[in-house]
Amino acid sequence: MLPQMGAAAESLSKASSLVMRIGTDAHLYDDPDDVSIKPLLESRYDSEKVDALKRLLALIAQGADVSHFFPQVVKNVASHSLEVKKLVYLYLLHYAEKRQNEALLSINCFQKDLSDTNPLVRAWALRAMTGIRLHVVSPLILAAITKCARDPSPYVRKCAAYALPKLYNLHQEETSSLEQLVDVLLRDNSPAVVGSASVAFNAICPNNYPLISKHFRRLCEALPDVEEWSQIILIEILLRYTVARHGLVRESVLFADITRDSTFSSVMRRCYVEGHELWSGDGRGFEEVEMGTCKNEDVDLLLKCTAPLLWSQNSAVVLAAAGVHWIVGPAEEVKKIVKPILFLLRSSSAVKYVVLCNILAFAKAAPLLFDSFYEDFFISSSDSYQIKTIKLEILSTIATKSSVPFIFEEFQDYIRDPDRRFVADTVAVIGFIAKRLAVLAGTCLEGLLKLVLSEPLVSGSYQVEEEDGVLVQAIISIKSILKQDPSSHEKVIVRLVRNLDRIKNSASRALIIWIFGEYSSIGDVIPKIAPTVLKYLAWSFHSDEVEAKLQILNTCAKVTAKTKGNNKDSTLFKKILNYILQLATFDQNYDVRDRARFIRNLMGNETKNNLDIYRDLAESMFCTKPASSPYPSANIRVYLPGSLSQVVLHAAPGYTPLPKPGSAVIENPAGLDNSSDVDESEGSSPQYSTEDNRLGYDTGTEEMSENGEYEETPLVNISEANVDQGQTSQNDMSNFVSTDLSEMMSRSALESWLDETPCFSDGSFGQSRSQNVSTSNARVSFNDRNFKLKPRKSHALLEPANSDGLRISYSFSTEVSSVSPLLVCVDLLFENFAKETLRNINIRFEEASGSSISGPMDPVLEDSASMVSPDKIPTLLPMEEIPLLSPNETVKRILQLRFQHHLLPLKLHVLCNGKMYLGKLWPDIAYFLRPLSLDMNSFVEKEKQLPGMFECSRRCTFSDHLQELEQNEKISVNADKSLVVAHCFAVKILSSSNFYLVSMDMPVSLKPDDMSGLCLRFAGEVVNSSKPCLITVIAHGNLTEPLDVTVKLNSEDTVFGLNLLNRLLAIVQ
Amino acid sequence: MQQLQCIFLLSESSGEVMLEKQTTGHHVDRSICAWFWHQYHHHHNNDQMSVVTSPTHYLFPLIRHGIVFLACTQLELPPLLPIEFLSRFADILSDYLCAGAGVTLNEDIVKDNFVIVYEVLDEMMDNGFPLTTEPNLLKDIVLPPNLVTKVLHAVTGNSSPSVGPTLPHAAASTVPWRSTHPKTITNEIYVNLVEQLDASVNRDGNLRRCQVYGEIQVNSSLPGFPDLTLSFTNPLLLNDVRFHPCVRFRPWESSQVLSFVPPDGHFKLMTYRVKELKKIPIYVKPQLTSDSGNCRIYALVGVRNDPGKTIDSIIVEFQLPPCITSADLTSNHGTVDILADKTCRWSIGQIPKDKLPSLSGNLVLEPGLDRLHVAPTFQVRFKIMGIAMSGLQIDKLDVKNMPANPYKGFRAQTQAGDYEFRS
Repeated sequence: MLPQMGAAAESLSKASSLVMRIGTDAHLYDDPDDVSIKPLLESRYDSEKVDALKRLLALIAQGADVSHFFPQVVKNVASHSLEVKKLVYLYLLHYAEKRQNEALLSINCFQKDLSDTNPLVRAWALRAMTGIRLHVVSPLILAAITKCARDPSPYVRKCAAYALPKLYNLHQEETSSLEQLVDVLLRDNSPAVVGSASVAFNAICPNNYPLISKHFRRLCEALPDVEEWSQIILIEILLRYTVARHGLVRESVLFADITRDSTFSSVMRRCYVEGHELWSGDGRGFEEVEMGTCKNEDVDLLLKCTAPLLWSQNSAVVLAAAGVHWIVGPAEEVKKIVKPILFLLRSSSAVKYVVLCNILAFAKAAPLLFDSFYEDFFISSSDSYQIKTIKLEILSTIATKSSVPFIFEEFQDYIRDPDRRFVADTVAVIGFIAKRLAVLAGTCLEGLLKLVLSEPLVSGSYQVEEEDGVLVQAIISIKSILKQDPSSHEKVIVRLVRNLDRIKNSASRALIIWIFGEYSSIGDVIPKIAPTVLKYLAWSFHSDEVEAKLQILNTCAKVTAKTKGNNKDSTLFKKILNYILQLATFDQNYDVRDRARFIRNLMGNETKNNLDIYRDLAESMFCTKPASSPYPSANIRVYLPGSLSQVVLHAAPGYTPLPKPGSAVIENPAGLDNSSDVDESEGSSPQYSTEDNRLGYDTGTEEMSENGEYEETPLVNISEANVDQGQTSQNDMSNFVSTDLSEMMSRSALESWLDETPCFSDGSFGQSRSQNVSTSNARVSFNDRNFKLKPRKSHALLEPANSDGLRISYSFSTEVSSVSPLLVCVDLLFENFAKETLRNINIRFEEASGSSISGPMDPVLEDSASMVSPDKIPTLLPMEEIPLLSPNETVKRILQLRFQHHLLPLKLHVLCNGKMYLGKLWPDIAYFLRPLSLDMNSFVEKEKQLPGMFECSRRCTFSDHLQELEQNEKISVNADKSLVVAHCFAVKILSSSNFYLVSMDMPVSLKPDDMSGLCLRFAGEVVNSSKPCLITVIAHGNLTEPLDVTVKLNSEDTVFGLNLLNRLLAIVQ
Repeated sequence: MQQLQCIFLLSESSGEVMLEKQTTGHHVDRSICAWFWHQYHHHHNNDQMSVVTSPTHYLFPLIRHGIVFLACTQLELPPLLPIEFLSRFADILSDYLCAGAGVTLNEDIVKDNFVIVYEVLDEMMDNGFPLTTEPNLLKDIVLPPNLVTKVLHAVTGNSSPSVGPTLPHAAASTVPWRSTHPKTITNEIYVNLVEQLDASVNRDGNLRRCQVYGEIQVNSSLPGFPDLTLSFTNPLLLNDVRFHPCVRFRPWESSQVLSFVPPDGHFKLMTYRVKELKKIPIYVKPQLTSDSGNCRIYALVGVRNDPGKTIDSIIVEFQLPPCITSADLTSNHGTVDILADKTCRWSIGQIPKDKLPSLSGNLVLEPGLDRLHVAPTFQVRFKIMGIAMSGLQIDKLDVKNMPANPYKGFRAQTQAGDYEFRS
């Protein structure tokens, strides 16, 4: 090429690289801070903001700390430009944790964006909001996720699922609401969302098997459509569930006979299930724990649905699917995985290495699976050293008599590889194979000997460390083969010894000298050459290195000790030994001198009387062989297939072995999750219905009748909406609306009831009625409290499976404690499912010391004490012990507790038969209230005092009434529909919370089905702070459809209020 | 929680950290990069480590195009997940930044487009777990730079937004790989069989192993929601298969046909392996004889089983053993270069009709060494257009759900994979 052309080409390439840079952000990366960034951030133009943000990003990329721009950046979160938003989010996520206070400023914008019409904006807002990890706003985040989990866009729902683990990290304690959301998302129609939900499941509640049990079939069927990354996680979840539920499969490889080494597979089985730390050391009866089951439907389904994933383009999915087949698949199915995982070897070298690590573990347990595929483990010159060695190890494991000739032929080439480390490894593997397949020992020894004696290895002129490595390894291999059957390989020893003079490397010499000493009395030839060899050793002693010198000393001692009797040889040996000892005594190295002194004392002294003892000692020292074990089982490290731990060969943090087989007992496979409040499972606990069907306001009504002032309170109020409610008509109405609610129900619809004009003697009402008709916004309110409340939901404190048959379920009670107003009453129901009588049942708080209140206390004192210094320990009033509980008997107790936290569970110790079980009592915030009896006026007044920041409201839908209406349709045609709806509403809230129903306003409208304006008011007093808490529920929409409901809450205790609002929403929905 | 805590992009040559992206609250200090860099350079350079255990983190490096993609985690997670993710990320970056530019990804391009790299990475990963990795979908969310916007940017100084206006519908659809509004529709589909031939011949000249690793690469530009069926005349040939997520499993299980709704643009429909082939198209006969400190080398290259098409871009490479001090090599055809790492590269091109290319020369051994006791392996690279060496043949491609019949193009090519001759 001409020089000028070369120059032209060069400038051309320069020009083209310049063209490449045009229009990129190159200058921003090169000089991010060549302008002042702050004014740009405050600019009015989006383009300048973008420029500034890009500069900040460049600085982050280069590792500079630009967190001091946080206040300026966070302002831009409100920008409408998507690009600005994205860049701001990138910045925020990087620094939010450092600048928590400023990051709070962005929350409002996120919340606004969450209602944007563009799903991408909603998704980004949610991701950023959850990504900034602010502990203080976790209730808001939970609300945001809850909202997004029901978003119409699957992408947003997917992001909601991804957000759950982030919230969980902030707030590890409170999982029940997160688990509910996982449940909701697992039900999703879109496979992408289901996949992300499984990722969340794995992070939040990986052991919640009942939840998987509910969805198992659907999840299996969705598996092929789920995104590849989620597939990896979902496969693992399903595998763990299957093992926990059904145990290991007896037909699987882990039990089967195709394993050559049954100890290995049983060790593997243990490792999978228990992990290393637990079992190593004591070999306790593991076999009893595990439950092998025959294959069943679930296992079959799982295998069927994971089988096609062996064709996935994602190697992680293939390996995960292979892992499932390996662990729960019957042995004949496992063959399926072999080809797909071998095909993975034709991927990048990183993938190759990981897959090989797993194959090695598989091959050790079931070498027969792989033995015909030995060619796939042949080395290619592009393999890295790591990969080469692991391939060799696999080859040594799977080699059989029929494949060994081919493998050895291949090894012939490896021996000549320029990488001598690899050659040494190959030589070692030859030794392993020969040890395992004794038939081959002769051939192997021949080959190795040839290698040892080949010219470049032994020639002293060319000495490289790596070369020595090969030589030493070859001799070690020979040594290990000889050990199996020394007598039949006598000639090999002789040949080695005869070549001793040619071998210069001291480690190799030491090894050969050891071999000679060890087998000096074997066969016919060796004893004959022994004198000559010893003479040679004595001659070469001074020129040898330390390693070899020590071995010469040992060997001489050994040979001498082994020669019995007083023949010619024996005296010769003694002479030589003495000579060598003498040389050694004056050696420069003190190890050699020490060894010589030791041997001299042991053997050199013939004058001593107790000669025999020394001789025996020497003999036992030199001539007995320690028993060797092929697999010291504690050294086998096996982890679950596909795990990081299997690659790095130690349990990585976060590694969990499989659950205990059969540990998950799911009583109702159709799946009702006890802790899930969304489920309408009231009907499933009929045993409570009789006791719980009492009126909701025992205490409340009692108080009122004592006060006496409520006796005249009418059951129905009719008032005008636009005048201040409750102020006007209460007294006027009282005359004519003293009817009982049930009586009213028997009448016709509300309108017809209103039309009975003769009742309306009062003129003012007539006026208001005419207004009603024209504006249709007047209301009718009820103050009736005779609702048939639904049985309260009960939760399990203790399951019979965990506690020898004792089942304790709890439900929150509306009763007010007689001891202190701070205590919440919980009804406990003890049931004995066991066949024997249970004794001495009692409940204690986990921290036994000084936590329970010793006796009744002055409530006022207690109250004030808690105001001053709130004692953070939840307290528990001692329960009356249940001395005896015979089988199938049930006993009820009331437990009085004081909760300090609204969300954290209370850990309780249940004592029974002298044993102690741990139970968790989940607080229900809706019962941390006392009913507060207010009339309409004082309610409105109180509400006015709690505006702004004390007020929060949220929306949801209510559809329970639809069912109710359907039922009522059949019973009576006359029943007023809107009344039913209102009734339904009140029952819903009152049966799962402890409120006082202040008023129930009915819409009065021309359209019979329009429910807009239905308004219920509830009041309560927070147990801990005695602050009032007011709830207003307003409904909109048509009664034949789900109603749109706004729940408003006014309370001074805002944190409590937020949590309570969430709970109420869950109740309503 | 299976999550990656951080992803770093390092320059392979200098170790400079070009970019860091923290994905969780636990920030990973970038000093881990220096640690890794030290390990990478001071341990055996040619050993690519797939999982590195550092004192604080587990590292997953991927080295491609002179860039080290380094993922860090502290907790157990399936190691193939980060490995696959990084390689997907590298592919997508190449596609974003280099498509059509005729260059391969390099550190300068990454630096110049760091904003896009950040934006793409942020969409691809949320909280340390892969979020959106489908290239078509990503391109709708983060717009790839194109010439028009670049020039506009250069002229006006205003950068056009790199972020898509709204969420693509595909994100919500059941076929997330297909965007619903493909930009330009030419109504064409090209199917390309790309095969790599692995072969290994031992020093006696016996073929020890010969297999084909193939990919079916498709470039689709079809409107609407096309439903395609691809069938082979000899599917039983296929030993192993792996599919793009768009391929339906059932039809393959029952009748070995590929039924799928294709994504737009380039994608890899299927990879396969055909084992135990008996014929190799090209051979090398190396001979090495050595005595008294010298080694004479003679290598011959020829065509064995003529595939019927021209064999192109033939290159023979071998590594000179470390004990060789100097080499003098000549050839009767093509050029011989000895590279810095002692790789000897003999570029032949095409084999001429009139003579067999041969390489001969003399190697001088280290002083003190009489004979060469190690044997270099000769690796061959070549390319044959228009033929699939496995013999796999596409029977037909049926297109359903389409208004007009599209143009269908089929091609095939074979190149050398691990194709080596031991001496």
